[in-house]
Amino acid sequence: MAEEKKNRHYLTGKEVRAIAKENAKITRAFEKKKKRKAAESEFLSSMKDPKNILEVEDLHTYFFTDQGVVKAVNGVSFDIPQGSTVGVVGESGCGKSVTSMSIMQLLQGPAGQIYSGSMRFKSYDFKRDGKGNPIPIWDDDEEGRPQYDEVKDRKGNAKLDKEGKPILERRQKRDEYGTLLYEMEEKVFDIAKMPTKEMYRLRGRQIAMIFQEPMTSLNPVFTIGNQLDEVTLLHFPGSTKEDAKRRSIEMLNLVGIAMPERVYKSYPHELSGGMRQRVMISMALAGDPRLIIADEPTTALDVTIQAQILDLLRDLKTRINGSILLITHDLGIIAEMADYVVVMYAGRIIERGTASEIFHHPMHPYTIGLQKSKPTMDSESESLFNIPGNVPNPIDMPDYCYFRERCSGCIKACFGEYPPMIQVGPTHFVACHLYDKENK
Amino acid sequence: MMDKKKDETLEESENGVPMSADASPETEGTTAQPTEEERAEKNAACIASGDFEGFDDELQARREAVAREQKAEEDKALPPDENALLEVRHLKMYFPLKKSLGGKVKVWLRAVDDISFTLKAGETLGIVGESGCGKTTMGRAILKLYKPTGGQIFFGGKDIAPYKSSGMRPLRTQMQIIFQDPYSSLPPRSTVGGILSEPVRVHNIVPKEKTKEYVLDVMDQCGLRDYYFERYPHEFSGGQRQRICIARALSVNPKLVVCDEPVSALDVSIQAQIINLLKRLQQQRGLTYVFISHDLSVVKHISDRIGVMYLGSMVEFGNKKDIFSHPMHPYTQALFSAVPNPNPDVKMDRIVLKGDIPSPANPPKGCKFHTRCPKCMEICKHVAPVYKEYEPGHFVACHCYPQEEA
Repeated sequence: MAEEKKNRHYLTGKEVRAIAKENAKITRAFEKKKKRKAAESEFLSSMKDPKNILEVEDLHTYFFTDQGVVKAVNGVSFDIPQGSTVGVVGESGCGKSVTSMSIMQLLQGPAGQIYSGSMRFKSYDFKRDGKGNPIPIWDDDEEGRPQYDEVKDRKGNAKLDKEGKPILERRQKRDEYGTLLYEMEEKVFDIAKMPTKEMYRLRGRQIAMIFQEPMTSLNPVFTIGNQLDEVTLLHFPGSTKEDAKRRSIEMLNLVGIAMPERVYKSYPHELSGGMRQRVMISMALAGDPRLIIADEPTTALDVTIQAQILDLLRDLKTRINGSILLITHDLGIIAEMADYVVVMYAGRIIERGTASEIFHHPMHPYTIGLQKSKPTMDSESESLFNIPGNVPNPIDMPDYCYFRERCSGCIKACFGEYPPMIQVGPTHFVACHLYDKENK
Repeated sequence: MMDKKKDETLEESENGVPMSADASPETEGTTAQPTEEERAEKNAACIASGDFEGFDDELQARREAVAREQKAEEDKALPPDENALLEVRHLKMYFPLKKSLGGKVKVWLRAVDDISFTLKAGETLGIVGESGCGKTTMGRAILKLYKPTGGQIFFGGKDIAPYKSSGMRPLRTQMQIIFQDPYSSLPPRSTVGGILSEPVRVHNIVPKEKTKEYVLDVMDQCGLRDYYFERYPHEFSGGQRQRICIARALSVNPKLVVCDEPVSALDVSIQAQIINLLKRLQQQRGLTYVFISHDLSVVKHISDRIGVMYLGSMVEFGNKKDIFSHPMHPYTQALFSAVPNPNPDVKMDRIVLKGDIPSPANPPKGCKFHTRCPKCMEICKHVAPVYKEYEPGHFVACHCYPQEEA
């Protein structure tokens, strides 16, 4: 037994090289696929339920390491309905961050690859003409006559053409922040099939991400304003630097920063952790996204600051009418924020349902254990419940239930194959043999 | 925001060192301004009337500092509490931030400023507070890992504050520390056996030939298998490493263990394992813990007494029951209400504190918490509240409660 174990932990150089060679072959094919030029029709798709904004179906994300293939996300499916918050909860290494990175196609290549599955996202983007330029909405008068403005140079003087006449430009509609408006349309993309270049349309504009560490995710050599303006300049065609600045300050205001003009000019190191996370959130909002992925947004912050940020997120969700995918390991945060909860363990979803289902009627032994093992402010018990053991080694996962070794309620069926997702309620699913009718 | 901060720091540096001992009132009296006594009288009148127009903040701060110094001097003569294993009196830990050309310190960072408490043997003291409030510094200063700027630390009836590092050496077997990050606090080049037997060897805990036997016994108590003896730290997960850290601390048979956020870096299910282990070991060996954490629910679970720190000062201290059933200080109340509740149906009336924790190099005048306090009154902005016992063993420093001299 000991000998066998040793072999599993330590690979010889020869073995490592063989694995690396094999991996390189596979990853090269994936990288090629990501770099290809593809027509839009290739990755257009349609939603199963029009109410959803994102549908993840049977997603597999693998990391091809020299030690073997790590199945970080192994068949994950969940939906995010429009305007709701979905919380993903699990221990570190359970694949919750990798899921979010897959949605953004931000996996570290060439090792990390979306192996299979589909992620359908309903985008609301500019309608484009044949050349790929967005179609503007003109600010015509009531009778439909186009209006013209003089083009101004930097000093505010009218620009003149060769004959000395002022150059005119058709007036375009602007929104409340002064951003130019274009015709919009709804399209459903399958993110898993999209080449990297096409992702630029979605990242930041349609799906924005708030990262865990506000300390490291802001660029230390640029001012906050510089970094915020970039979002507007990139995603709103035709916007000038002044437009961008106006919008950035508006966004800083929105997240409750008291002196936005001053913060606009400062560098990240001059701000505290809570302020930086606010800036991160404002940056995410600047693209006017439909889906915000918040990957442990408060883990690096203190409880009091955490309360501020959670309040802000909840408030913003209603204001911008967006959806939030909230990733965290703190059950308390999930209970407060989420409408739907997804519990992950070792790369798979083991239970999902509405927040009240998961918290009042948890079914999977892991979910139950997780809730019991967290000391709460109300509990009076002497010793904490603990789940024995550790998460299994991510390389060569067993083919039976991953939780079997740590589970207290094992039955005969658990020694068989991995349990399927069993529906126990209209919205409540659990992957456990205990709830399989055949086993009763 | 930043400019303002700078201005205030400059002001601070003119004031000089935090302890007002060398601030000279005589020189100020020579100018045309009202004398110190007059101004002091005016201040007293302001406090009495509740009208703080023209209140002299600097004088007040200086007077408060002098009073604190005097109190510390007076308390020095008191004998140590016989029942207590650890008694800390007016502990101060300042770090120099800025020095003038002559080497004189212009700006101090007051990480720990005048903290006192007693801890009985076999009890657990939980220290909570936000990051930057000085809780880790306090833990380390108790162990003399830093040299305290002032105050007394009685360990087993002896004041260890003036001890040199050679004098501390025999005491190291009695006081140990468990660090926050198990990934960086273990030497990567030693085996688990080597890590655990080194302190045993250095301190001559058991005869040489019995060392391995003894270490294996400690490992067994901490839930480590005997075949881990030959392994290296990188082969273990976070929870196992934290067990190794605990075993290392316990291998010298300490009486006092300072646990500096021992479970913050761990997952929830592993957290529970480590907390249970710490509790079990406490019962078996009669250990005394100083448990530092920012997670209130964990602190509540493990502690007998709780101290709440804010910007280097203890704002509330008391038995777990007292503090949790009726927190008195507004900061404690806000901290408790900020903990997310794992019940989706309970919508709490949360006290959300505005803003961030101020810089400890330049704490606000008066009560340090007044910039964020939801119950802030005019007096809080000018006069520091007295740290006072309101119930047996329940200390609070807040103007919300009567402030008469005890």
